[in-house]
Formats: sequence, structure tokens, C-alpha cells
Amino acid sequence: MRHAARIFRAEALKQHRRVFGSKLVVFSMLIWPLLTLAQSYYTLRPLAATPGIAERWPLAADPERLLAFLATGALGFTFFFSLVQSAWHFTFERQTGTLELLFLSPANRLVVVVANGFGALVQNVWLFACFAVAGFTLFDVARVAHLGMYAVVFLALLVPAVAWGALLNSLLIFSRDAAFLYTLLDDPMWFAAGVRLPTFALPGWLRAAGSVLPLTGSLVVVRGALLDGRGVGELAGELAALAVLSAVLLLTAVAALRLGEARARRTGQLGLF
Amino acid sequence: MVVAWATLRRSWLVTRRAYPWSYFIGTLLLGVFTMGVAYLGLRAIAGDQVSAEFAGRAGTADYLGYIAVGATAYMFVVHGILWIGKALIQEQREGTMGALVVAPARRLPYLLGFAAFAFTAVALEVAVLLGFALLLGVRPTATGAVDAVLAVAALALAVFGMSVVLSNVMIVAGEAHITQNTVFQAMAVLSGFTFPRDYLPEALRWLGELIPITAAMDVIRGVFTAGTGLDPARLGVAALIGFGYAAAGLLTMPWAERRAMERSF
Repeated sequence: MRHAARIFRAEALKQHRRVFGSKLVVFSMLIWPLLTLAQSYYTLRPLAATPGIAERWPLAADPERLLAFLATGALGFTFFFSLVQSAWHFTFERQTGTLELLFLSPANRLVVVVANGFGALVQNVWLFACFAVAGFTLFDVARVAHLGMYAVVFLALLVPAVAWGALLNSLLIFSRDAAFLYTLLDDPMWFAAGVRLPTFALPGWLRAAGSVLPLTGSLVVVRGALLDGRGVGELAGELAALAVLSAVLLLTAVAALRLGEARARRTGQLGLF
Repeated sequence: MVVAWATLRRSWLVTRRAYPWSYFIGTLLLGVFTMGVAYLGLRAIAGDQVSAEFAGRAGTADYLGYIAVGATAYMFVVHGILWIGKALIQEQREGTMGALVVAPARRLPYLLGFAAFAFTAVALEVAVLLGFALLLGVRPTATGAVDAVLAVAALALAVFGMSVVLSNVMIVAGEAHITQNTVFQAMAVLSGFTFPRDYLPEALRWLGELIPITAAMDVIRGVFTAGTGLDPARLGVAALIGFGYAAAGLLTMPWAERRAMERSF
């Protein structure tokens, strides 16, 4: 554990010095999510203020609750997309040759990729998360069963996001081109995971595709706990599914790391290409 | 013109040989998913209706058509800025900025060459996105061919003006990621792409007027969405701000290039 803690600390410090120490980072941490939230809200407003909305989607009948729904989506997306960005940064380790050095060091590979994602996540989302909590309190839109549900919400975002980050970092052992990550996991992720629309509005095939994304399950728990006042017992099925999905993501990350490293040893790809 | 033509040819040559498909797919996907959300929301949430407030403010009750025009225009703007606005910082990153500074080529034709490339390259993407809109049942119409050409020209001028200014900001700051994405996100909220600007608080509406794209989008809306035709007053404002931005950017470019070059030594 002490060994792992040292790696976590070192990764967080490295990222702080390299990325998060700059004042400009406030744009990606707060301004961009807020602007995206405003755009989503105003774009959906013409649909929410229609006759009979209370029967089709009761939540949207109240503009503040609609905003809260979209804010939870933006918060969840910020958690998961920050890991996509972190994986993109992780490719620089490979391009500059430091990934090879990391692999030569005694540090556990899995701990390195998990710590990399965890460090980026915590440093990236704290500002928007604080803002979202302040917003929920100010507008008084949160209906939680008890205060402990805030911890459940936090864990339902944190654990799958860290597993997701570990998987993304591991997959980059196979390729140094990270542009595909942005292309595949930016717009398709918010579309299929129900970030801006409730999942009942999505067609069945899209719901099925979105269900493999951990963000989808996290949002079900977050919205159920914060907006519908559901307790742990009522969310037990969703929480269990999220735990299983997180475990699968971590196991896939372990397998990808082993296969990727074996391949890199055989081809010399880690340092040469 | 020689410089503009040479830049256009070079850009097409590079693109044909090594095209960054992630640009194409990335900007196209955003438009496709923006329309997708509008389509699914209209069907499943709104029961194929829109609020009377929207119809009054947008000048149309065709929500999907409104979003389709906005998403297409947004793609046009984003792609234009990515090519024209990032031309100089790309030279800086590739180490050719010094050669460009000592070359006898002037900056205006050089950037016009990039603009010609950007607007011809984006035509394919616009066609694909409009094809998707047609599949969703959108039938875009214009109030006239001349109106349509003038409206698109106003938007292209606004993109060019903004790109010249952004170009300076990027080479002076030495970074593009934060600058471009902040501008894209701000435009998406302030310039009336996916919702009428009247929804915004008054202060933000005035802030939007500082962006040349905003007035140009009002012209686009009159021609392609509301059916009210070309608005000469807004066209005049769009042209004035667009030329103003381009002139300010070109006048300050020598200073920006000096700063960028000094920092690299």
C-alpha cells in the first residue's frame, strides 16, 4: 500500500506541475462545462416548455429541475471526459520516451495507469463539482434521501471513472495516436450516455450501445440519488451493475497492459515508433 | 494572388497526401449528434411540438430545421477557424515561421489562400451534414439565390476576420487548445446557433454583438430559417465588424509575429 501511495503522490505531483499548475486550466475545469451546460439548457428549453410535458417527462416541466438534470449530466461528463484528456496527456509519456522509463522502474504498471487517471480526475473536476454542489444548494433542487447519499453519488462517479481511465491509459500502449480517443469518446459518449437527454428518449439500439459506457450507469445513480430522492436500497441494482462494470474495466486494463507490454517488448514499439 | 494561389495549392496537396481525418469526423460528429439530440428530443419529449415562445423568437416553428441550419453554420465556422486561425501557429510549431517572416509573401494573400482552402474543403462536410438533415426530414430553403450567397459570404467574412485576430492571439500566447475551444464554446452560447439569442440575459446578448459571427448568423437566420429575407442592417453590421476584425488583425500581425519570434530564441 505504501508503494502504491507513493506512486499516486508522484503522479499527482507530476500532473500538477505539468498541466494543472497553470491558471489557464480554469477554462477547461469550469468555463467550458458551464458554457456547455448553458447551451444544452437553452437548446432544450423550446422542447420542455410544450403543452403536456408534465405527462411525458415530469422533471422538465420545472425549468430549475431541467437545469439540474443537465447539470448532473455535465458533471458526469466532466468526470469521464477528464480521463479521456488524461489519457491523451499520457501519450506524451510515450512520445517523449518516459513511458519506457516508467516500465523499466519497479513501479507496478497497473498502479501507474490507475494513479495517472486518479490524479488527473481529482485535479480536473474539483472546481466544477464544487460549483455544481453550490448550484444545487442555491436552487434547492436536490432531493436526497439522506446526507450519506452524497458519498454514494461521489463514489458512483469516482470508482467507474478511475477504472475507465485505467482502461484508456492501458489501451494507449497499443497506439501512440490518441486523436481517435477524442473523436470516439467526446460527442458519441455524451450522446449515447444520456448526458443531455433522458435515456427513455433514446432508441433501443442506442440505449444498448450506451449501456457499456460506465458514464451511463453513473448518471442513473447520480440522478436517482440527487433528483429523485432514491436511497441505496432502491439503487442497489444499478450500484451492483456499476461495480461489476468497473471490475470488468479494471480486469480489461490489466489484460491490455500485459498484452501491450509483451507486444512492445517483441516489436520495440514503445521507444521506436 | 500568386501567394494566395500557392497557399491554396499547397494546402490541398498536403491534405490529399496526409489528411487529418479526425478533424473531418470530429466536426461532422458534433453536427450529427446536435441534430440527433434535437430529433430525439422533439419526438420523445416534446411530442412533435415546440413552445410558442420559441416560434415567436425564432420566427419559425420548425425546430429541427432551425437546429440543422445552426449546426451546419457552426461546423462551417469551427472548421474555418481551425484552418485559417491556426495557420500561423502551425508554421510556428513546425519550425517554418522564421522562413515565412523573411519571405516576401504578404500575410493577407497567404491567409486568403488558407481561407479559400478551408471554404472549399468544408463544402464536402456541409454537404454530408445537410444530407443527414434531409434523412431526418429537414427541408432547408432559402429566400433566394442572391440572398443565400450574400448570407454565406457574410458568415465567411466574419470567420476570416475572427481567424486573423485569433491567429495573433495564438502565436503570442504560444498555445491554441485553450484559445480555440473557449472561443468555440462562447460562440455556441452567444451567437444563436442552436437557440434564439433572445433567450439570453440582455448583458450576454450585447456581449454576443462583439463577435462578428453573431450578426452574420442573424443574416443566415433571416434567409434560411425565418424566411424574412436578407436583413440589410444586420448584413451591414456583419460586414463592418468582419472587416474591422480583419483589419485590426492584419495591422497587429507584425507585432504578434515579432513577439512570437522573440520568444522562440
